[in-house]
Amino acid sequence: MTTYILRRLIQTCIVIVILSYVCFYLMTLMPGDPVDLMVSSNPKITAEDVVRLRKLYGLDQPSYVRYGHWVSDLAKGELGYSRTYRVPVAVLLGPRLTNTFILSMTALVFSLLIAIPVGIVSALRPGSAIDYFFNFFAFAGISIPSFWLGIVCIIIFAVWIPLFPAGGTQTIGGPELGFWADIADRSKYLVLPVLSLSLQQIGRFSRFTRSSMLEALRNDFIRTAKAKGLSRQVIIWKHAFRNALIPLITILALSISSIFSGAIITETVFAYQGVGKLTYDSIIGNDFNVAMVSFIISVAMVLLMNLLADLLYGVADPRINFT
Amino acid sequence: MKAIFALTMLAALGCATPAQSAPSNTELKIGISQEFENFNPLIKTMSATSYMFSLVGRTLVSLDANGKWYPQLAKSIPSLANGSAKIIDVDGKKKIVATWEIIDAAKWGDGNPVICEDFAFALKVARAPTVSVGEKETYTLVEKIEADPKNPKKCTFTYEKARWDFYQLGQFTPLPKHIEEAVFNKYGKEKEGYEKNSNYSRNPSLKGLYNGPYVISEVKLGDHVTFTPNTYFYGPPTKIQKIIFKLIPNTGTLEANLRSGTIDMISPLGLSFDEAVAFDKKVKAEKLPYEVTFTPSVTYEHIDLNLDNPILKDVRVRKALVYGLNRQELVKALFDGKQEVAVHNISPKDSWFTKDPKEIVLYPYSKREAGKLLDEAGWKMGTDGYRTKKGKRLSLVFMTTAGNKVRELVQVYMQNQYKQLGIEIITKNEPARVFFGETTRKRKFGAMAMFAWVSNPENSPKSVLHTASIPTEKNGWSGQNFMDWSNKKADLLMDNLELEFNPVKRTQLVHQILKLYTDEVPALPLYYRSDTTVIPKNLKNYKVTGHQFSETNEVEKWDLNGTILN
Repeated sequence: MTTYILRRLIQTCIVIVILSYVCFYLMTLMPGDPVDLMVSSNPKITAEDVVRLRKLYGLDQPSYVRYGHWVSDLAKGELGYSRTYRVPVAVLLGPRLTNTFILSMTALVFSLLIAIPVGIVSALRPGSAIDYFFNFFAFAGISIPSFWLGIVCIIIFAVWIPLFPAGGTQTIGGPELGFWADIADRSKYLVLPVLSLSLQQIGRFSRFTRSSMLEALRNDFIRTAKAKGLSRQVIIWKHAFRNALIPLITILALSISSIFSGAIITETVFAYQGVGKLTYDSIIGNDFNVAMVSFIISVAMVLLMNLLADLLYGVADPRINFT
Repeated sequence: MKAIFALTMLAALGCATPAQSAPSNTELKIGISQEFENFNPLIKTMSATSYMFSLVGRTLVSLDANGKWYPQLAKSIPSLANGSAKIIDVDGKKKIVATWEIIDAAKWGDGNPVICEDFAFALKVARAPTVSVGEKETYTLVEKIEADPKNPKKCTFTYEKARWDFYQLGQFTPLPKHIEEAVFNKYGKEKEGYEKNSNYSRNPSLKGLYNGPYVISEVKLGDHVTFTPNTYFYGPPTKIQKIIFKLIPNTGTLEANLRSGTIDMISPLGLSFDEAVAFDKKVKAEKLPYEVTFTPSVTYEHIDLNLDNPILKDVRVRKALVYGLNRQELVKALFDGKQEVAVHNISPKDSWFTKDPKEIVLYPYSKREAGKLLDEAGWKMGTDGYRTKKGKRLSLVFMTTAGNKVRELVQVYMQNQYKQLGIEIITKNEPARVFFGETTRKRKFGAMAMFAWVSNPENSPKSVLHTASIPTEKNGWSGQNFMDWSNKKADLLMDNLELEFNPVKRTQLVHQILKLYTDEVPALPLYYRSDTTVIPKNLKNYKVTGHQFSETNEVEKWDLNGTILN
């Protein structure tokens, strides 16, 4: 198993290097470099300014040379400097990654806590009134666009019934209130975005759980377990749910891999200071260093979570081995 | 998707009720929808940063809401007339020497005085090849700054050229030498070393970095900036004790944030024009405690015509395009009449503005005149409703920024109007980044490109109208004469304009340029944009300027103790 993990980690590193160059190169192909964008917004920039700025930013060099510089800086632990915000990338990205992680992880955990029991209950009573009821909400959750849901949440819970803030990450000056007060304050700002993100995820996860459980419940070993007189709880959790886990692990791993990528629409609607909108803006604004670091994190997360999913298959099903 | 979003907002907010009381001088929360960067005055390029910077940074001069220059950090504005400036001759080259005296009480937020050395230091940093200042013209125009040995607040500026607008140094901001010199000495030789390590980047809440009525007490990029009063401010004490600018990137949720009390007002960098018009109606219908203001600005919305296009080379076709467009009806139908029809590139806020038919060529809506000109140009109406010439249809590609709802509405309106004239309009929109970063800059826009120019009053039109400003591969695609308009007489007039010290003669020169511009129609003027804000009814002394020297230059006058008038 150790050999398998090492092999996969080496593969992961190679894929990251290849994809990072492809991404860097593709960004250089996009119309308008950072200096072009400055020229288009400032009529006073002269031809001399253009030459000077291109040289200063290294834009006069071929993409592979620029990529080489970027990699060598990264190897030294320097994430670079954001030309849009004029601050080091680490300063810019660090708090936003934390915020996005908190938002996405809370939404994911909340979704799973609701979706799995809902999916199991539906699968245990297929075609019943409760199954139809849960299905209705699952499909509604999947179908409702998150931006619309976000707006509706703001109108209801921030404007009509002012229970939660309409947007933001925390109250200005919140950290000065003390640790627990700060936690409570941040939680208040999380409620609406988490609700908006979760409804879709609950729908998706409950549908997956339901179909996996239905599939598992049709197996012969379930009938055998029932014939052996095992309790209903043991049949459901030990035999059916464990077998239903494999497809769930796949979808869960994919969801966790996007935990640092941000939910751009939710973050924008709720003015939540996350990484999603920052990444989008950095690509649009040709802010290479920010875009590349965000990209590396996304790629690494996808690859690592897939590796984790593969390992978890073995835990869920001992028949799977890694030789 | 945006339309659904807007409809959702409208429907939902239609039933909403306000949930908050009027703000007081204790705190004012202002909503903006545009991103901001760090506050280093030499490096900043974003509009939102410039807007907020006036709260903390003042410079020698500024422009008021009436378009008049006034001294800020300076005691007075030097001029040839009062003898505080003079033209000198150095090796046959005319230069200007001017004396600026900084007001005695001007201090940085840590109590250190603002002195000439702070301006000289800013000049030194801005000129360093390792510092990424965008356009260096502001700094290269000033050759040197010397302080009076007896008075560190009395500075002699030597200007490289004898230009009439030498005193317009509104963008020339001093840097606190006592704080920033150490950083510059240590990192100034590294590429971008100074800006990466500057206190504006590393320690932005250091009071000594600012000399305005406020200092920054907290910056969270992508979220908010908090301003608190500067106890060392030279002017009248501020009335509002805390101002917070809150970034709400989605303009559609600004209104909800306002109604829920997350913000108290919306700056001109907030709502889109159509959203402001819709909200204005709701404010009046529901008697909400806000005022939606519409202030004419210097922003000129227009369509650049690509003169490389064989159809548009014919001036008769260009004139027909202006005659054939009912702009009066356009602004009435789309903007509730709250934006004014443009006649040329200079706005009514500018003292150079004219709409005198003796000075310029005016094009009142006339479908008949437009048809006549097209007939003369050889474009005959066909049976399919489109004009043709030598078997080729009169068809023009019309581009603008994709996703801009207002512009897309204007496009549809124009498409319909030109169809009646027998002109086929093919719309092809692109994301702003591609449209400005590549298409307009390299003049790849086929026939028509709709966008806006933002300038200050009495701003030389050289960068957008002069032949030397036509972007080419040779000049690195710099310059913004995207139309490829080249007129030797206009070039000469623009060159002379820079050197003309007599304001009356200057205005005459501008009117001659406008005559050529309106006669040759290299662009279709559409309308002058209005800046929109939403303010609480009890906010007094808040006057939107409509140009780049924003109302935040007078933030110390803002007062929330006014009586609410319904």
